[in-house]
Order: sequence, then C-alpha cells, then structure tokens
Amino acid sequence: MTATPPAAVATAPEPQVFESFVEAIPQERIKLETRKLSFFYGKNQALHEVSLPFAGNSVTALIGPSGCGKSTLLRAMNRIYALYPGQRAEGEVLLDGENILDRKVDLTQLRSRVGMVFQQPTPFPMSIYDNVAFGVRLYEKLSKPDMDARVEESLRRAALWDEVKDKLKSSGLGLSGGQQQRLCVARGVAVRPEVILLDEPASALDPHSTAKLEETIVELKRDYTIVIVTHNLQQAGRISDHAAFMYLGRLIEFARTDRLFDNPRASRTADYITGRFG
Amino acid sequence: MALAFNRRGRRSVANGAFILACTLATALALVFLVAILASLLVNGVGGINLDVFTMSTPATGSRGGLLNGIVGSLAMCAIAMVLAIVIGILAGTWLAEFARDSTYGKVVRFTNDVLLSAPSILVGLFIYWLLVRPFHGFSGIAGAVALALLAAPVVTRTTEDVLKLQSRQLRESGVALGAPVWTAIRAIMWRAAAGGIITGGLLAFARISGETAPLLFTALNNQLFSLDMTKPIANLPSIIFNYALSAYDDSRRLAWVGALLITIAVLGANVIVRAFARERKRP
Repeated sequence: MTATPPAAVATAPEPQVFESFVEAIPQERIKLETRKLSFFYGKNQALHEVSLPFAGNSVTALIGPSGCGKSTLLRAMNRIYALYPGQRAEGEVLLDGENILDRKVDLTQLRSRVGMVFQQPTPFPMSIYDNVAFGVRLYEKLSKPDMDARVEESLRRAALWDEVKDKLKSSGLGLSGGQQQRLCVARGVAVRPEVILLDEPASALDPHSTAKLEETIVELKRDYTIVIVTHNLQQAGRISDHAAFMYLGRLIEFARTDRLFDNPRASRTADYITGRFG
Repeated sequence: MALAFNRRGRRSVANGAFILACTLATALALVFLVAILASLLVNGVGGINLDVFTMSTPATGSRGGLLNGIVGSLAMCAIAMVLAIVIGILAGTWLAEFARDSTYGKVVRFTNDVLLSAPSILVGLFIYWLLVRPFHGFSGIAGAVALALLAAPVVTRTTEDVLKLQSRQLRESGVALGAPVWTAIRAIMWRAAAGGIITGGLLAFARISGETAPLLFTALNNQLFSLDMTKPIANLPSIIFNYALSAYDDSRRLAWVGALLITIAVLGANVIVRAFARERKRP
C-alpha cells in the first residue's frame, strides 16, 4: 500500500476542464437566454450549466460534434422534451426575461411563441392549406378571407407561395423534400411565433433546396429570433450572426460568427472548425 | 479464380432454389384459396334467389331464406365493430403514445396479445357466464359483446403498431406548434395512421364475421326474424353450422349460400375500404 504506484496510474487523466469564452451581447438585444442550463436524460447529464444569450432578430447557430448537446439545448427552449417522462432541465431559460422552465408556464402557449422545425420534413397528412392553417386554428378564429391571407403570407415568407399557389388543396405529402421543409417553416411562421428553432433543417435536403431554405432563414430574421442547429459549418458561416460551439454538453465558445471562425479563442473551437476533430 | 467462380455458382443455385421454394409456397396457399372460393361459388351461387333475402329460415321441407340470419349477423357485427373500434383505437393509442415501456403498458400489451389468440369458444363461455346466465337468457347483445371481445384485440394491436410506425418528429411537430398532446394525436397521428387503423378494423371484421363458437353460447339462434337484441337472434354462422349437417338438400344449399354471403361481405368490405384508403392517400 505504501509502495509508489506505477507511473501509468500516477499520471491521472487530464481533468475535464474546459476553457469557455462567451462574448457579451448588450442586454437590450437579448431575446432569449439560458442560464446555467443543465439537462438530464434520466441519469445521463447531457448539458452542463450552459449559459448562452440569443440576440433578437438574428440567427444564432449551434455547432459542435454529434452528441455535444446542440439539439438537447434546442429542445429545452420550447420544452418539447416535456413529452418524455425522465427528461428534465435545471437552471433557467429566459424568454423576454421570464423563466420558461417554471412549472407555471403554459406549455401550449409557450410553444406557440417558440416554433420548431425538425430535421426530417414532417408535413401533416392533410392539404397544403390545412398544414399552414393547423396551428393558427388552435389559437385564432379567423374568417375565411383572413385565414386565406394568413396562409398566403406564411407561404410567401417561406418562399413557397409561387410553387404551391395553384394546388393549395392538394396534399402536403405530395411536395418534394425541400418544399415540404419550407412548408414546415410556413406552418411554424403562420402562428406568428417570436422565436423559431431549427434542428438541422437542411440535413435531409439537396444543395438546391438547402440554398432556398437558407435564403428563407435569412429573410425570416427580420421578424424573428432564429436558433439553428447545424452540422454544416459553411452553412453556419453563411447564415448566422452569432455562433456557439459546444462540446460534450458544455458551451466552449460563443461569439459573432465571423470572429468565431476567423479568430477562435478556445483551442477546441479552433480544432473543430479547422477539421482536426469532430 | 476457380474458387470464386464456384462460390458464385453455388450462390446463384441457392438463390434460385430459395426463390423457387417461395414461389411454390405461395402457389400452394393460392391453390387452397382458389379451391375454397371455387367450391363456395359452385355450391352457393345456384342457391341464391330472392327468397334468400326476403324469407327467414324455413321449417324443414318448406320454402325459406336467410333473412333472419343476415339481419341478425349484420346487427351483431355492427354493434361489435363499434365497440371494438372505440375500445381498440383508444387502447392502441394509449399503448403507443402514453404507456410505451412502462410496466403497466407491458402488462396490458401482453394481455392483449393473449386475447388476440384466445380460443373463441372460451370467449363465448366467458360472455355466457358474464351476460347470459345472470340475465337468464341468450341475447343478441351478449353475442355482439362476445364478438367485440374477439375484435377489439385486433384493432388494439394494429392501432398500436401503425402509430408506432409514425416518426417521432411528426408526433413532436404538432405539439411544437402549440397543440395539446390530445389534439396532436387526434388531428395528426390518427390521420397519418388512418390507412393502417382501417386495415386493422377490416381484419377484425373478417375475424368475427364467420365466428360460430362464441355465438352458440350467447346469441344462440332464432328460427324467426327478430330485431330484439335482448332476445336470442339468428345469425349466419349458426345457421351454416346447423344446416351444413342437415339431411335435407334444401337446408344444405342454404348453408352454402350463407357461407358464400359471408365471404362476399368480407371480400367486398376489403375491396371498398382499400379503394377508399387509396383515394385518400393520393397526393
């Protein structure tokens, strides 16, 4: 017991210390913010005290290798995880200063303020028109002309109107993958949310559809706060104003996108964006 | 080279043999199906006339038809299907959307699977004990409940299965728009799974429409036309069961006609609903 342990044991593994750099955003520009947000899948901790601001009317990209917690973070912000018993969040998520993790928050109300678009296009099995009107009908009683106008406006914003205006009554399932994804964007926009969460929205799309979707996203930031999870660094570079690099459930670096890419401060960020790992 | 060629040769022989075996098995199944249908047609079609649909089962040796049996079977199947569809869809939805891997869910799923293959005569006895003996009488209601008990597990199972086939993201995307979970299930998940659920209902209908054993203990039979579901009621399977063994040609002919009618009903329902489902699916 008193003998000196062998060298291999004596050198303990490098403690999991992560340098973390968070660039400040002026308080008045912050729309959404996580504070010391931790997330658990049962006993597995997927997020470790992530504190991250999201500026209003801008696009924030979450980047990092698979399993780093990007999607988990996104799913905490509309509490979609609450569908699954055993998943829970600790800490705070502030939307306009109000903690949405609070028990008293009405989840359906919250989700009408924070929309979400998923990786796979998920058109509902109904007409294009009804797809867009679905969310609106949950909360508003619009007259037929008003609803028509809302549907058109939403489809225009998603850059889909010209392609579908003559077949609004046909099934949303008949559209191409890229069109379906823009239909999902239109559907989300139609309920007039404040924040739109996009979970790798282009990963199932071809390059042409991806380009169209990216244009749409950049258009949308005039009116909405957008958070996008992406594996595609070029995409993050093209469309985002801010970017957050995550690793192993921790926030490593958050900065303006150009600064994060040109001049990363954390070595792990540099390694990732130069393709040395991940 | 030789080895590679040999191996490839062996594989293509094995492949051919496998395809041949599959084809033969399919052909064997088809032979029996066609044989059954053919014997039904040959023996049944000749007996179809207006009397079948306008007169009740005859006293031996006199004119008669199957009206009482047709109406009784339709009434009991209709009630049974309504019960089975309501219970089956709700139970299947609960299993797929809420229970998931909880212990209670597993117990319910297992029990349902057992019910799925329960001998129908046991179901008949159970309903006899539950609804016939306490109320001192066979009844159409008891028959319908027995049939529902046979049909509900089929609907439950298929509903659960087709709902589970839907993507998790579709499930979430309704909720993510701000829809309450119940609304998302009703307006999106059920609609997406409609084709499969309808198929489940058809399978269930096909299963119960020819069932005889459970009806012998519950609805019994009735020589006369009756719409009173609280009394014994005539039904095609019981009539077939009785008449098929009869010494009289007329009675046996009616049994063939009854069997043909049941087959046509199941086949027709299948065709109609499939055409309908295809129409809906078309983009």
